Amino acid sequence: MLSTPSQKLTDGMRRHLLTGRPWGPAPIGATTVREWSSRDTRPYLRNHVLSQLVTIAGREMTDNWRDRRGLLSAAVYTLMGPAVVWLVSLALRDPGRQGESQPVLIAMMSVFTMVSAFIGGMNVAMDSIAGERERRSLLPLLMHPVTRLDLLLGKGLAVAAFSLAALTVNVLGFAVLLARMPPWHIALCLVPLSLLAAALQIWISTVCRGIKEANTYLSMLIFLPMGLGMFMVFSPVAGRVWWNYVPVAGQQLQLEAGLRGGELDIWRLLFLTLATVFLAGLALAAAAHRLERDDVVYGG
Amino acid sequence: MIEVRNLQKQFGAVAALRDVSFLAPDSAITGLLGANGAGKSTTLRTICGVLKPGGGEIRIDGASPADDPVLFKRRVGGLLDHAGLYSRLTPREIFTFSGRLHGIPSRQLRERVEEVIAFLGMQPLTGRRTAGFSQGERMKTALGRALVHSPKNLLLDEPTNGLDVPSVRALRLLLERTRAAGACIVFSSHVLEEVRALCDRVVVLAQGRVVAEGAPAELCRRAGVRTLEDAFVAFTGTAEVLSC
Repeated sequence: MLSTPSQKLTDGMRRHLLTGRPWGPAPIGATTVREWSSRDTRPYLRNHVLSQLVTIAGREMTDNWRDRRGLLSAAVYTLMGPAVVWLVSLALRDPGRQGESQPVLIAMMSVFTMVSAFIGGMNVAMDSIAGERERRSLLPLLMHPVTRLDLLLGKGLAVAAFSLAALTVNVLGFAVLLARMPPWHIALCLVPLSLLAAALQIWISTVCRGIKEANTYLSMLIFLPMGLGMFMVFSPVAGRVWWNYVPVAGQQLQLEAGLRGGELDIWRLLFLTLATVFLAGLALAAAAHRLERDDVVYGG
Repeated sequence: MIEVRNLQKQFGAVAALRDVSFLAPDSAITGLLGANGAGKSTTLRTICGVLKPGGGEIRIDGASPADDPVLFKRRVGGLLDHAGLYSRLTPREIFTFSGRLHGIPSRQLRERVEEVIAFLGMQPLTGRRTAGFSQGERMKTALGRALVHSPKNLLLDEPTNGLDVPSVRALRLLLERTRAAGACIVFSSHVLEEVRALCDRVVVLAQGRVVAEGAPAELCRRAGVRTLEDAFVAFTGTAEVLSC
């Protein structure tokens, strides 16, 4: 039951009610909120687009941080890679074959790392648009003075943060197994990869009407890094140089080289980063275009 | 003040709004009355800038969404769906989130959130996450979110749906106080008793068109009937007979 509204009026509220001044329960300093909401604050808002992105990302992260079951499942999937590779390495612990098995183990690690990029932020991506539609909070959200692209960028940042956290935990797990840290350039693989994973997942989330549907499609998306990863491990064609410039496949090859302790080509990494960020931008633009549709607002 | 002229909106082959024109003045509650599918929700969603109009013009306090669609949204607050809350956040966190998106600086926002909480009598609820809130508590939280940037124009889409009698009375009291403070309120409903009790002006919609507009008593007089229900039927021609 809704209780009767508080009869304890603040001085400001009483002044507004008694004087019939424009709506706004209380003045704030010298400026009433009413004045704040109606005056031209374009310069302020333009300077604070970044602040809005951070606000949207922060809300997503707080909300999903409190979803302990989602966090636990992401952590289990993220650590599954190091655990599986460790078990396989135990099975292959034959002094005569250790030299042969390590390249295979490192190739396996790189596949698991690619997959963890897409698993780390999956729950957040599901909740971001499909979840908003399901709980009917998308409509109130769209009533705020934020463009739909900014909204998606904010949500994308939150998904990418979870994805990057999963990638970092995963790579650190493999570093412990290998007893050596990969070179710092690896970060140039992981950051754009997390952005691409986030953008693709957000795009899929805008297509879905609810969390169940998003779960189905986002689970299918995991076949992209998994299938491509296995292909890169076993196909002889994968040895060709141009694969190093293809997003996801290129990152996997660079990661594999890094885990082996080899040198990484910084220019190749930079090109790969640009190509991956460009692809992520396209996915977000497609999501923003999708979000303009009336049926997304109506949830139909 | 909200002015709507010749508003049109098409969803595929369905014309949701054909020709909607009305004026909602300040310090008044304007009721949008219509049967299901008459175009009430679409009208409100188009006014608040969430849906793009297919034609016609909307002006809020003289400003048009064509000038700056993003800033236009700061002029209105809306309670268009009180189911849409974040279940893992508390009302205070929801109000703060909304206020930040409206660009209210942090220190002023903290004060403002406390004022809204006091205004709605929500002090016992502020520390609780909204999961498990009753319908009335959800409605209050959604209303607080709509009020946090202190909009002069307030849009409410069937706000009493699912509320018990005391909650409806409390909401009515809140709206009367808001109107007394000078707000322009547009209120959609198909509950005639509610419209009669609250609204200064009524806009009757049928099949995406405005078929009548005026004070409730004036509508009854023009239709030559005694009750608003009879006037509504006379204007919309929607008398339905259920045969047993």
